[in-house]
Amino acid sequence: MDRRNFLKISAVGGATAALDACGKPERQLVRFIPEEELVPGIATWKPGVCTQCPAGCGLRVRVMEGEAEVTRHGQVGLLSMGLAKKLEGDPEHPVNRGKLCAWGQAGLQVTYNPDRIRFPIRRTGRRGSGEYEEVSWEEAIKELVAHLPKAKPAGKPSPLIFLTEPLHDHRGVLIERWLAALGAPAAVRFEFFEQTVLRRANELSFGRYQLPTFDLANANYVVSLGADFLGTWNSPVAQNRGYGTMRQGRPGQRGKFVQVEARMSQTGANADEWVYARPGTEGILALGLAHVILNEKLRPVTGAGGAGARIDGWSKGLPDYAPEAVAKLTGVEAARIERLAREMAGHPPAVVLIGGAPLAQTNGLANALAVNALNDLLGSVEKPGGIFFTPQPPMADLPGLQAGISVQALCDGILKGSTAVETLLIYNANPVFASPPAWRVQEALEKVPFIASFGSFVDETSILADLILPDHSYLESWVDHIPESGTRQAVASLAPPAMQPLHHTRAMPDVLLEVAHQLGGEAARALPWKDYAEMLQAAFEPLRTHPGSISAKTADDFWSTIQDRGGWWGAEISTPPVRENLANPPAAPVRVTGPQFDGPAEEYPFHFLPYASMQFGDGRHANLPWMQEMPDALATAMWSVWVEINPQTAAKMGIQQGDLLEVTSAHGRLEAPALIVPGTAPDVIAMPVGQGHEHYGRYASGRGANPIKILAPRAEAETGALAWASTRVKVRRLGKKGELILFAGGLREIPREYRHR
Amino acid sequence: MDKTPEQINQDLLRPIYHASWRFYASVAVLASLVLAAFYAWGYQMYYGLGVSGLNRPVYWAFYITNFVFWIGISHAGTLISAILRVSNATWRRPVTRCAEAITVFSLSIAAMFPLIHLGRPWLFFWLIPYPSERGIWPQFRSPLLWDFFAINTYLTGSVIFLLLPSFPDFALIRDRSNGWRKKIYRIVSLGWRGEPKQWHRLEMAMRIMAVAIIPVAVSVHTIVSWDFAMAPVPGWHSTIFGPYFVAGAIFSGIAALIIAMALLRKLLHLEEYLKPLHFDNLGKLLLVMSLLWFYFVFAERLTTWYGNFPSEMSVFWSTQSGRFSPLFWAMVFCNFIIPAPILAIKNLRSKIGWTVTAAVPIIIGMWLERFLIIVPALSHKYLPYAYGTYRPTWVEITITVGTFAGMGLLYLIFSRVFPIISIWELKLGMQRKAEAAAELASQEAAAEQP
Amino acid sequence: MGHRWGMVIDEDRCTGCEACVVACHAENNIATVGDKEAARGRAKHWMRIERYYEGDFPEIKVRFRPVLCQQCDAAPCEPVCPTYASYHNPEGLNAQIYNRCIGTRYCGNACPYTVRFFNFFNPVWDKPLNLQLNPDVSERSVGIMEKCTFCIERIKAAEIRAAAEKRALKDGEFNPACVQSCPTEAMVFGDLNDPESRVSRLSRSDRGTKLLAELGTAPKVTYLKRGAWHNGQNA
Ligand SMILES: Nc1nc2c(c(=O)[nH]1)N[C@H]1C(S)=C(S)[C@@H](COP(=O)(O)OP(=O)(O)OC[C@H]3O[C@@H](n4cnc5c(=O)[nH]c(N)nc54)[C@H](O)[C@@H]3O)O[C@H]1N2
Ligand SMILES: Nc1nc2c(c(=O)[nH]1)N[C@H]1C(S)=C(S)[C@@H](COP(=O)(O)OP(=O)(O)OC[C@H]3O[C@@H](n4cnc5c(=O)[nH]c(N)nc54)[C@H](O)[C@@H]3O)O[C@H]1N2
Ligand code: SF4
Ligand code: SF4
Ligand code: SF4
Ligand code: SF4
Ligand code: SF4
Repeated sequence: MDRRNFLKISAVGGATAALDACGKPERQLVRFIPEEELVPGIATWKPGVCTQCPAGCGLRVRVMEGEAEVTRHGQVGLLSMGLAKKLEGDPEHPVNRGKLCAWGQAGLQVTYNPDRIRFPIRRTGRRGSGEYEEVSWEEAIKELVAHLPKAKPAGKPSPLIFLTEPLHDHRGVLIERWLAALGAPAAVRFEFFEQTVLRRANELSFGRYQLPTFDLANANYVVSLGADFLGTWNSPVAQNRGYGTMRQGRPGQRGKFVQVEARMSQTGANADEWVYARPGTEGILALGLAHVILNEKLRPVTGAGGAGARIDGWSKGLPDYAPEAVAKLTGVEAARIERLAREMAGHPPAVVLIGGAPLAQTNGLANALAVNALNDLLGSVEKPGGIFFTPQPPMADLPGLQAGISVQALCDGILKGSTAVETLLIYNANPVFASPPAWRVQEALEKVPFIASFGSFVDETSILADLILPDHSYLESWVDHIPESGTRQAVASLAPPAMQPLHHTRAMPDVLLEVAHQLGGEAARALPWKDYAEMLQAAFEPLRTHPGSISAKTADDFWSTIQDRGGWWGAEISTPPVRENLANPPAAPVRVTGPQFDGPAEEYPFHFLPYASMQFGDGRHANLPWMQEMPDALATAMWSVWVEINPQTAAKMGIQQGDLLEVTSAHGRLEAPALIVPGTAPDVIAMPVGQGHEHYGRYASGRGANPIKILAPRAEAETGALAWASTRVKVRRLGKKGELILFAGGLREIPREYRHR
Repeated sequence: MDKTPEQINQDLLRPIYHASWRFYASVAVLASLVLAAFYAWGYQMYYGLGVSGLNRPVYWAFYITNFVFWIGISHAGTLISAILRVSNATWRRPVTRCAEAITVFSLSIAAMFPLIHLGRPWLFFWLIPYPSERGIWPQFRSPLLWDFFAINTYLTGSVIFLLLPSFPDFALIRDRSNGWRKKIYRIVSLGWRGEPKQWHRLEMAMRIMAVAIIPVAVSVHTIVSWDFAMAPVPGWHSTIFGPYFVAGAIFSGIAALIIAMALLRKLLHLEEYLKPLHFDNLGKLLLVMSLLWFYFVFAERLTTWYGNFPSEMSVFWSTQSGRFSPLFWAMVFCNFIIPAPILAIKNLRSKIGWTVTAAVPIIIGMWLERFLIIVPALSHKYLPYAYGTYRPTWVEITITVGTFAGMGLLYLIFSRVFPIISIWELKLGMQRKAEAAAELASQEAAAEQP
Repeated sequence: MGHRWGMVIDEDRCTGCEACVVACHAENNIATVGDKEAARGRAKHWMRIERYYEGDFPEIKVRFRPVLCQQCDAAPCEPVCPTYASYHNPEGLNAQIYNRCIGTRYCGNACPYTVRFFNFFNPVWDKPLNLQLNPDVSERSVGIMEKCTFCIERIKAAEIRAAAEKRALKDGEFNPACVQSCPTEAMVFGDLNDPESRVSRLSRSDRGTKLLAELGTAPKVTYLKRGAWHNGQNA
């Protein structure tokens, strides 16, 4: 007799009789549970594009009728409108095939964020005070136009600078055209976790200034050097999809995954074998592996023109990278290097990834080149189970990836007086938050006479703006996207607005077009479209005649079909020509050596490894309550920031979970609670990036510390990219507890202290 | 007993007629604590249960601790009194009413906690099986429903058990009073005239009740223990829980009774009635229960430890050496290490002060025991990821303190309304004793005759 | 034959990305509780990713395990509920009737998986976050227990759609929000009464285990153990 029937039969006689009188209780019950009355609402699913990260996954937006309280000109009213209720991946989209990551799921809270700027505002208080007044769009645009140069000033550089996040869509194209028409230099692109190093390495090795795409689904052996490819890096959804298949999608075949890093990441947590290597020695390790493969002739050496040609000593079989020598430098035992090399070579297709901290060292480019050469040696370039490069759609203008002038250089110029910036326009870039203190970004920006922002939120950078012309959210506007990676098909995503704007906002591209029209002259001629939709139609039209997902006879037919489908994708291309533009190889091959660190090891004994948080990325998602409350996968922390420290190190220093620590570099100090993590190396202090906002709405502001603010301004030697993993720090206990909110109770499945004795 | 019946009447009825300023002062203090508790409860109802320290996974804590604790205390009375009645222990006579009153009040207090702890207390009546127009009955398989029946039965039984032997004493007050008091006691004495037929019926009823109430009392605490034992929570799901809880209940009940009696003795000047003999006898009982309690705790711990199930070991170690261990060892001190030696030494046990010294820590220890059954187990359920912990807030502490104050308040008022010692039973006892003495004397006299 | 909805979760695929966690919030109107309440152990995640460390640095391994209501066939949370708020629906799901819950939290104690979440306060959505709320899912007020429903609103919608079109439901035709979002396809949902459905076939896998199977709760969620790599052989 089971629990369910226990009492029906046995006890409480009178009551049971009463129950019996009204039949079987379950039956009886069902009559009163209005499950059949649970009538689902009518939903339409509209296409969209996720802009939460540069991967550009395709969306389906669930839209349902609802009543929104909207404010227009200070008046509150109810508006019956279609509201986005849920975001799902577009099952047809080549990058994500119906799937989304956590940031993608949380995108709704961007649109409905209570801290969105709801109408154009003009600063009234001093800069940074956050005091504004509402202005009309006409006024706002008039004011913006008044601060723009009409045309290129003769003889001297334009006083106009446009600072934006890197854009992989026609907003980027529009901005460049607009700037060119106004005689201004190309936009300054800024994001903290920039990818310049890897793009440059791929250009040198494979002739592609582009992030790679990995065919993980067909790989049998995956080695990742620091790349958080299952978390935040490159095209996470595409990579997770491939990884799932690599593990259990091919009957009888399960790939091995090895992660090499100094602090176990969410990605590393999935590894079959997790390998600690000293920070910055990943390239040396890659060459150590290559050495074994070459030495034991496990793979044929690729001919000239291969990625190996970029590596010093490659043609001689990498004599300096024998396992013993590499073991000394990297901390990985020689026997293990040999075993890993044999396993890789013995289980093709094998692929090696590098990303994150190894590239953010002073020797980042060398590390990347070494990995490219190893991949080439493994025969994994442009082969199933290896590395590919996403073909770009045949469009007239593509958003540029090449780095222009850097924020650092810009600020340097402003501070030195060598760059005269009169007007600065900011779009979704937040360098005041996300740059090392030595760059003095805030100081520089404060010197600029007029700043306007198109951002939806007041953040540390846009709070310096004199005028804010808030953009629509990506669910409220026309969106397109050309993925740089994540698929082997050329993709051009496109979607019309999924819902009406909630607030009195305007799409940034439409504002730029309006400005151009008002300026007239060359600007108006260069940007003839009445709005962004028209520009997109013109830009996408050339795709009609190319083989791809849409066949349409007429332009109108194509335009309406592509809007329904959420974009156009070309046929899968298996062997695109890659090496053709290896025209200009650098003079000398690169010698792969160890990195330089900032701060003497005696004074600053720990490597400081900031990492992209799975909750907040580089900090841009910190204003989403879902992201704040989503427990970090490993730390399980919510609404918190923390300093990761190895258990033995902590024990030695008398540090306990939650103790407030002071972390000091040669460039600053911060305070955050300790999180004792078994997967952090004894000489490493790791910290998630993303919290520590001063101004970023009610959910993010005043929460924890910002690790970027103690980073050294070291640069990667070849590309000049910020080497954000090269700082050394020291740590001190402050003798009180910090705010550390953990979702998990236990660390281990069978708590160790409770084991059999 | 050297007192004449009239002296007894005067001694024992004095509190009904006279109250000192101390009485009013105590009432004022206790009543304000009770009001504070009601304020806290109101605050909790208004804002939500979130104002307590409860959380996931520790969904039950202070309130259910108090619930179990007060149910335990309720075993002071009815059960002890019934057992003593059934076993015809003559020394019981001055003790029974004090004890029965404890039952009624502590049970009423206990019964409030299931309401206090509800997320939506205004819907408490959904627990009551009544034919509603929606035709939905409560879930009879839920131990909470069993609680509902058990507590109601026990409460009803205990009230009857307290009231039945009170009628003769009410009648006595009626006969000796005038004015409003006479009117009231006339009503509550339900026409008691002391006729032989009435005496006969009263004795019959008491005999039946004494026998009937014992299984009810045992079942109540068994069912309360099943609130836990029926749930698959590590450390709860144990066959020992029924007897363990009943033993613990009687243990704490006797301790409470000893403390109550000592207080009454002092405050109401009942030194002549509540004698060291009574404390000595209750002390013996308490010693037995302390040993029994220790046996249960030891048996429960040993089997858990030996069995070594990971989930149970988490709970086990959290109380033996982990976060909850200070409370655990305090409990062992309070329930065993302090009281057992005191009670085992005859010289100490026969001194009222020492017996009370043994009883007070038991109250604390038994409250801790209930807490330690509930909270460490819920903090360490099966999946370590979902482990948690608990810290009470001012709301729970205020309500807890308020219930202790409430107990004192009710008891204080009771002692002003009821003769706290059953007068007629005392007299009956003396009469029996005198008769027996006379009988003995006559037998001895007969035996002496050649 | 009626449906018997079940799930398979492949721990070898799950990467701990937590897309499912947020998808569940978005679909099911699960309110965030804020930092103060989260610190007091009141965060509500119907789906959570448990992570367990094994070993010590540098020989360290981690397991991720998504845990949601196991939709037990012998659910300990059901018989303890005095008001039938936690009940077994005709399709074998453990349904939670919010209206009827009076907040004893007994079910929360009885559930061995600790997947029942109590509303300690009324939920708060700072306007206009409330506009995101899914009208197909009821909001839960203070004093009420809530939990994973296997996205019953999606089940009903699909059943109604199929009935209107006078056809049987197809395997994989619809999915709960967490399953839908999972980038690695670690989760598979479907009808256990259909022996040929993906979920049925996978739950017969020899990697299959039930979480806390020893408790006899008869969960309808099957976990597939992580594989190991032995020189290229699947294990
Ligand atoms: N201002 C305003 N007033 C309205 C309406 C309106 O739109 N606006 N709508 C009108 C309409 S259409 C309707 S139908 C009525 C609805 O009015 P009510 O019938 O009062 O509806 P509810 O508020 O849904 O409340 C029903 C009560 O039943 C309780 N309950 C839930 N389950 C059970 C159970 O198992 N047993 C018992 N005994 N109680 C249970 C709930 O907690 C709740 O307290 O309101 C009408 N009044
Ligand atoms: N979350 C939630 N959902 C519920 C309920 C609940 O308590 N909570 N209650 C349920 C119950 S009991 C009911 S009855 C339903 C009610 O559900 P609905 O019938 O949808 O109720 P309303 O939103 O009150 O009204 C519908 C529309 O009628 C319009 N209207 C008003 N007057 C007129 C008129 O004269 N002519 C016309 N053509 N339109 C008019 C209103 O503006 C409104 O847009 O909701 C059910 N759904
Ligand atoms: S990876 Fe995530 S955040 Fe990036 S585009 Fe895809 S769904 Fe959006
Ligand atoms: S909390 Fe609600 S669902 Fe759970 S047992 Fe109590 S009344 Fe039932
Ligand atoms: S997992 Fe918990 S909540 Fe779900 S059915 Fe089982 S016992 Fe109930
Ligand atoms: S099945 Fe639905 S309710 Fe359950 S965890 Fe998944 S998304 Fe949440
Ligand atoms: S979405 Fe899938 S892979 Fe990501 S945590 Fe959830 S179950 Fe694991």
